[in-house]
Amino acid sequence: MATFTAPAPRTGLPGFLGFLRRPAVRKLLLLAVAAAVLVPLADSRWASGTWPHALTVDLTEPLGDASTWIIDNRDSHPLFLYFFGHVSNAVVLAVRAVYLVLLAAGWAGVAAAAALVAWRVAGVRLALGTAAAVLTCGLLGMWVPTMQTLALMVVAVLASVALGALLGLAAGLSDRTYRALRPVLDTMQVLPAFAYLLPVVLVFGIGVPAAVLATVVYAAPPMARLTALGLRGADAGVMEAVESLGTTARQRLFTARLPLARKELLLGLNQTIMMALSMAVIASVIGAGGLGDRVYQALASVDVGAALAAGIPIVLLAVVLDRVTGAAGAEGSAAPAGEGFEETDSRWTAWARWNGWPGWVLAAVAALAVAVTGRLAGRLDWPETWIVHIAEPVNRAVDWMTDHLYSGVPYVGGTADWAAHFTTGVLNPVREGLQWLPWWAVLLTVAALAWLIGTWRTALTAVLAMAAIGVLGVWQPSLDTLSQVLAAVAVTLVLGFGTAVAAARSERCERLLRPVLDVFQTMPQFVYLIPVVALFGVGRAPAVAAAVVYALPAVVRITTQGLRNVDPAAMESSRSMGATGWQQLRQVQLPLARPALLLAVNQGVVLVLAVVIIGGLVGGGALGYDVVFGLAQGDLATGLVAGAAIVCLGLMLDRVTQPTRRRTKKGA
Amino acid sequence: MSTTISAQEATAEGTGARGTEPVFSVDGLWKVFGPKADRVPADPELAALPAAELRSRTGCTAAVRDVSFDVRKGEVFVVMGLSGSGKSTLVRCLTRLIEPTAGTIAIDGEDVRAMDRARLRELRRHRAAMVFQHFGLLPHRSVLDNVAYGLEVQGVPRRERRAKAQEVVAKVGLEGMEQRRPGQLSGGQQQRVGLARALAVDPEVLLFDEPFSALDPMIRRDMQEEVIRLHEEEGRTMVFITHDLNEALRLGDRIALMRDGRIVQLGTPEEIVGSPADDYVREFVRDVPREQVMTVRRAMRAASAQEAGEGPALSPEATVSQAIEAVARSGQTARVVDQGRCLGVVDSDALLEVVAGTDTRSAGPAREEVA
Repeated sequence: MATFTAPAPRTGLPGFLGFLRRPAVRKLLLLAVAAAVLVPLADSRWASGTWPHALTVDLTEPLGDASTWIIDNRDSHPLFLYFFGHVSNAVVLAVRAVYLVLLAAGWAGVAAAAALVAWRVAGVRLALGTAAAVLTCGLLGMWVPTMQTLALMVVAVLASVALGALLGLAAGLSDRTYRALRPVLDTMQVLPAFAYLLPVVLVFGIGVPAAVLATVVYAAPPMARLTALGLRGADAGVMEAVESLGTTARQRLFTARLPLARKELLLGLNQTIMMALSMAVIASVIGAGGLGDRVYQALASVDVGAALAAGIPIVLLAVVLDRVTGAAGAEGSAAPAGEGFEETDSRWTAWARWNGWPGWVLAAVAALAVAVTGRLAGRLDWPETWIVHIAEPVNRAVDWMTDHLYSGVPYVGGTADWAAHFTTGVLNPVREGLQWLPWWAVLLTVAALAWLIGTWRTALTAVLAMAAIGVLGVWQPSLDTLSQVLAAVAVTLVLGFGTAVAAARSERCERLLRPVLDVFQTMPQFVYLIPVVALFGVGRAPAVAAAVVYALPAVVRITTQGLRNVDPAAMESSRSMGATGWQQLRQVQLPLARPALLLAVNQGVVLVLAVVIIGGLVGGGALGYDVVFGLAQGDLATGLVAGAAIVCLGLMLDRVTQPTRRRTKKGA
Repeated sequence: MSTTISAQEATAEGTGARGTEPVFSVDGLWKVFGPKADRVPADPELAALPAAELRSRTGCTAAVRDVSFDVRKGEVFVVMGLSGSGKSTLVRCLTRLIEPTAGTIAIDGEDVRAMDRARLRELRRHRAAMVFQHFGLLPHRSVLDNVAYGLEVQGVPRRERRAKAQEVVAKVGLEGMEQRRPGQLSGGQQQRVGLARALAVDPEVLLFDEPFSALDPMIRRDMQEEVIRLHEEEGRTMVFITHDLNEALRLGDRIALMRDGRIVQLGTPEEIVGSPADDYVREFVRDVPREQVMTVRRAMRAASAQEAGEGPALSPEATVSQAIEAVARSGQTARVVDQGRCLGVVDSDALLEVVAGTDTRSAGPAREEVA
């Protein structure tokens, strides 16, 4: 057979066989056969458009019972008394202590300390930026909430780093632990933040301990991943040389493996801090207090001005924290190499003199001096008279926008019109289409997509996750969420790929884009809700818009990088054959950048889902709303089921878009 | 095979070696990678299989097969072979950076394979230090701290180890660069740091794993001269792995030539070039400038009474190219004189035969002369 088909031209039977030989076609055929057998069976038994009722398991009652039991026994059961109780108390005490220290240092002390740390780590420019950012928080009248958020962050980050570093150490040194831990960490990284809230609330109740622990669970995985990655990635040649000198295992770890992993460790710290901030803000839903709570309260009453006043400090915190920790990571690798030894040498020693402990001592003394001065002057709290109230003018501006831009703008219509058109023209048809599809057709589509892009394993996981949603009895709201995700992903990809192609082709375009992407990628998800509410009001369309804005930077960045990293030799050879720019893009760049494009899709989907869920806070409905509703009404059973469905949906979406060869993710 | 080697070792006795007691003594060493590697050396049938067949039958790869040799005190022992011949694995087996599968290794008579972890660390810390192809420097430490690292590991106090490191840094010609990071140095300088790091612990044996392969040709020559100089100054025992024949001939007192995990020939450079053990070796050494490797001992013939009395005198260790110069200048036959005794003479015909590789003596008689 093989000898017959191989040389034959692709016509008639041999051509058809060759067609059959393509793996994609084979997979689809196999799936079609399986469907032909299973679908009539399933359809005859459980004929219905939506998930058949016979196949659902009602978890509301047992979950409700469990939650009632926990609430009843929280003060008496030994598990709570001797374990969770202590954890909870320790967290409360730690947060309280940090908060009091921050307040005792006063605004001047905190600003000075932050600026001096930034100076030691990242230089004078960032120090000035940091001081300005901290003072802006005070100016906006958000000093106390900022300190609350900061206190919670400090505790959560310390715990996350400790936990993540320990896990990473274990995974970095033992192959077995690594194999066991990696899929868990991978999965945790794709789950929306909202999914973590309910289990901790179930155990700890609403309050600071729950918020801190949710933050730790959310923020520790990147630290663990990167620690393991760094430790495992140590240069084998260096490790061998170190071993050849007769080092003990301990010496190898502390003098070689850990210092070699410095860059990854600091990147892990950076990511953990960013994720912790993002979660600390979201955790306002479960009682975190601070800036997130201000935003949450303001959004609940559609008070955009107040939301903005609390949102700006969040953004400033995010940018400052990201830049300072990022600079710490870049410092080690920036050692000058190559020529100009004499010149760099003197500078190097001068730098080294400041770089050691004297610089830190100086910074500590200066910060302390400022704090004491502030104390003696009796200026610990931010002075009332220095507060700039921006809520009012912002709200006036928003009102003006509502009056003039929402609708009736000649020719272009208004933002509310767009939102309405998008809802009726895109979101509704997609949702109705999904809900109209028989349940088995949805499963089949999921299987086909996942199998075509990935392996049978990912396909199986995806189908099982989707089926689990049906079993949980939240098929309809999940499809509602899914419709929003699909619409948002479609918009994100069109915009993202378009921008990326432009950025990859033009140096100037990329230069303009980079700082924008940098800022956008550091902002916590929650913040994106503020401007969309101002522009579009509440509903599903604003949730989708926020998701698009949130996911766009990552998609643009990954795609641009993928297109730019295409082998220059391939590009040159195609140019030498006289390909036009368009031909180059279509025939060389896009095919070679395929892995990057798939990764971009995958990331886009994961990020979009995270924000679409949070959109439940601004009228997005569906699963996100169930979670918020469950929390607000104390109906944890509903919330938990929705949370589980979110996990399944996240798993399904990630697996469906997961390329066969997963690349290690960089950055957030 | 083993008989030829021992015969050649006996030959080398009088020519190249400086001392006699072995520092390293390796016997019947095997390193097999793969599942259940132990059974391969144990089973004579498996042990005899060629590489491809061994892999298909057992899934194992034998990197080192039944290798035996002694490294004598004070000599430069070169292991040379093409990539994949097992030479790097072999040198790592010496300090058990790679655990051998079978055979014995002894250092100064002590069984290396029987050492516990503490004893093995002691061996690595004090007795054998290694220089690596890709340097293996710690990028976050200064040159001085890299050099002092071996001493730090031993627990030498900071002041003392810095003083010692400073001394060694000067010895390898890196003064003034103590505070640089490895990333700021050129490849040759980095390898000097690697060399200094190994020297700083004052080891009994220096092991080199293709140390200069990653360097540019000019730098490589400098570094080879550095090693020759160090060896002349300190007389330290060295095991030197290389894939470069010229490097092997330049540095080696004795050379073990490896192919597919076995030693195919072990002898002085002159023996390898002059009497290749098989076609593989012959092909290998074909382009070597023989006149620079072969000594007049090879080329001489018995002197007639008249010849023994006149003409320029040469020592038996003189190379053929030196003899050619002497013969060309004087226009006479040259005498080979050892401690006042005339061993024989070389004339232009005999010298030309050596250069052309047509000298019939290279197949065997040379050995008898020595004996």
